[in-house]
Amino acid sequence: MTMRFLLVTVLCFLFVSTAAAAQNEKTVAGFTEEEVLLFGEKMYREGVLPSGEPMEALVMGDIPVDGRMFTCDDCHQRSGLGSVEGTVITWPTNGRELYRPRRKTGAWHQPESEEAKMDVRKNLPAYWEEIEEARPAYTDESLATVLWTGVDPTGRKLNPIMPLYHLEDSDMAIMVHYLKNLSVDLPPGVDDTTIRFATVVSEDIPAEAREAMLAILQAHVDVRNSQSRHQERRAESGPFYKTEMHQAYRRWELDIWKLQGPANTWSRQLREYYQKQPVFALLGGLAEGSWQPIHEFCEELKIPAIFPLTDFPVISESDWYTLYFSKGFYQEGEAAARYLHAQENIVSGTKIVMVSRQGMAGSYLNRGFSESWQVFGMPGPEHIKLAPDKKLSEQFWSDIMQAKQPDVLILWLEPVDLADISTLVEETKLPGKIILSAEMLNYSFTAIPDNLRDNVYLTYSYSLPDSQKRSKQAVKQWLRARKIPVTDLKMQSKMYFLGWMLAGAVKSMRSEFFRDYFLEGFDMMIDQDYAIAVYPRLTFGSGQRYASKGCYIVQLTKGPEPKLVEKSNWIIH
Amino acid sequence: MPSSLIVLFFFILIIPSAAATKYKRTVEKYQVPDVTLVNQEGQKINLRTFLNGDKPVILDFIYGTCTTICPVLSIGFSHFQKKLGPDADKVRLVSISIDPDNDTPAVMKEYLQRYNASVGWDFLTGKREDIIMVMRAFDAYVINKMNHYPLTILRGPGDEEWIRINELLSTSDLMQEYKLLLKK
Repeated sequence: MTMRFLLVTVLCFLFVSTAAAAQNEKTVAGFTEEEVLLFGEKMYREGVLPSGEPMEALVMGDIPVDGRMFTCDDCHQRSGLGSVEGTVITWPTNGRELYRPRRKTGAWHQPESEEAKMDVRKNLPAYWEEIEEARPAYTDESLATVLWTGVDPTGRKLNPIMPLYHLEDSDMAIMVHYLKNLSVDLPPGVDDTTIRFATVVSEDIPAEAREAMLAILQAHVDVRNSQSRHQERRAESGPFYKTEMHQAYRRWELDIWKLQGPANTWSRQLREYYQKQPVFALLGGLAEGSWQPIHEFCEELKIPAIFPLTDFPVISESDWYTLYFSKGFYQEGEAAARYLHAQENIVSGTKIVMVSRQGMAGSYLNRGFSESWQVFGMPGPEHIKLAPDKKLSEQFWSDIMQAKQPDVLILWLEPVDLADISTLVEETKLPGKIILSAEMLNYSFTAIPDNLRDNVYLTYSYSLPDSQKRSKQAVKQWLRARKIPVTDLKMQSKMYFLGWMLAGAVKSMRSEFFRDYFLEGFDMMIDQDYAIAVYPRLTFGSGQRYASKGCYIVQLTKGPEPKLVEKSNWIIH
Repeated sequence: MPSSLIVLFFFILIIPSAAATKYKRTVEKYQVPDVTLVNQEGQKINLRTFLNGDKPVILDFIYGTCTTICPVLSIGFSHFQKKLGPDADKVRLVSISIDPDNDTPAVMKEYLQRYNASVGWDFLTGKREDIIMVMRAFDAYVINKMNHYPLTILRGPGDEEWIRINELLSTSDLMQEYKLLLKK
């Protein structure tokens, strides 16, 4: 027993040592596998060599390029699956595509059964047989040659838009190794029949909201899967020229990941869910407070998260894997700053006082305003941060006016805080602009007294109430047809839109089920100004992670049922 | 040989004819709309006044997150400025955003820095309807920005006609077109 135990221990040790040695083995240009892939990624995405110097290339025949201006992934995309833009088609440069022949028949293969061989629909027509393969599989050598010279293995010259890279042998070896390993193995969460998604819901989300979101996501899944029988039959028996399209069909499955307890335990819970049953991407989702723990989980495991329902997204220009509807409260703060600067021409001597309570909404609004204001080179506003239990009495408003005498008063406050705000009118000079957030007011506009409305301006981050009636009606009809009651049209419209986009993004992947490519499907989507009922426009582009970029500034008419008066465009520069 | 013929022969040799170019080149008349756009510094720019100055103008339509066409157009502008050296600010390079939703002054400023733009190259954005008006005025409107195509439009100082080139250009081609503008 002891001998056996010893033997197993020694064997295990040997195995671990061998594996570690393999891991550390110098594979290319004297670097380990891990180092080569990291250096290759830096070359591919940032245009920087392992030495830290920029890559150099020549484009259009005579334009020298600093690799940092124009990277491989600009055109070929992060996945390497390429892109189509206007008249320029960029071919895939991922390992799976490069190291196999580009065939004239795409995914089609010679049928095996005798019966199928007799079926004209499953065989190539005679004229097709005469068409040559587009190119043979690249080898390491021929791939290096095409990157150096722009000539492929068939002798064909690539379009001069493809840079010719001046790379030393060792740097070229790293580049080739990186490309060879780029988007080769499909990620977890997808197999021959199914793509699996999950949605995240934290336990403190009210049942009505949770059910409203889940009902729509499940309806999208059901719509998709209702086609399964026909699609699977087509994949079996469709004509040869549609092989690729039909074989790309996958059923969808949707898991629900319920998060419990404090947010600092969510990361662990998410990992447990993922280890138990990996998913390809996250869809929608509702969680109390900041989306940051879920965002970070997705960044770390490279899992796309599409349109979570949150007002507290992570604001980042470089993170990749979560696509938000908007920057939430941050965007309203940003819009207020842009409006004051661009349309009201507020100059740097103007006295601006900002009042907010401690809390996430106020913090996002402050940050959005302050960061934008700073970009304009303006001094930061005077900021009064209120304690959670601070009551805003008549004296409070009177003191602010007398002590601060603001020209612009920004109030990131809730309706309950405005009970005594009429006191401002009693002061000799009202601030020229009093700015509030419609979202933070929970759209309870009667909280603004009539006698202040001439001076009050609201940030309003959705379509105006009387617009897009037809789109709203379409969403309602879609819900009705699926027997889903209309409980929260704003949220339901967003989830309706998610499903609409999801179908397009999945289709655009064809059979290349790579997560980066999936996100690139959204990046390349047509800008939307008709399919979404609650935003005037949603726009997309490579790396753009907040689809709604705008916000209105509105004023209120007087009376018990105030109407909104548009004071700015949707986009304010 | 008569001297006039020698002069003509010499003229043909040194001035490349437009017909000899390997790209499609047309002469057009455009009415620049009277709109106010915003540049990378957040400054308001009246487009008509801006383009009607005493400098030659080279104009393109791009956007900050474009994947293929715009980086090549912009590298072309960048290298063109480098080639001109101290004369770079004698020509007005104008890039007009076709993605005004995303291209804020901050985005445009970072974009120009990436391409080592020097004085004389401006990136303009504006209200969506104004941008559409400008695109239409230059016959460059596309419903979807992903469907745009390479386009460079040039005009000499005081000229009424614009040169329109619907392809990506090498620096030598762009330089040749620029010199033709100056020789008019």
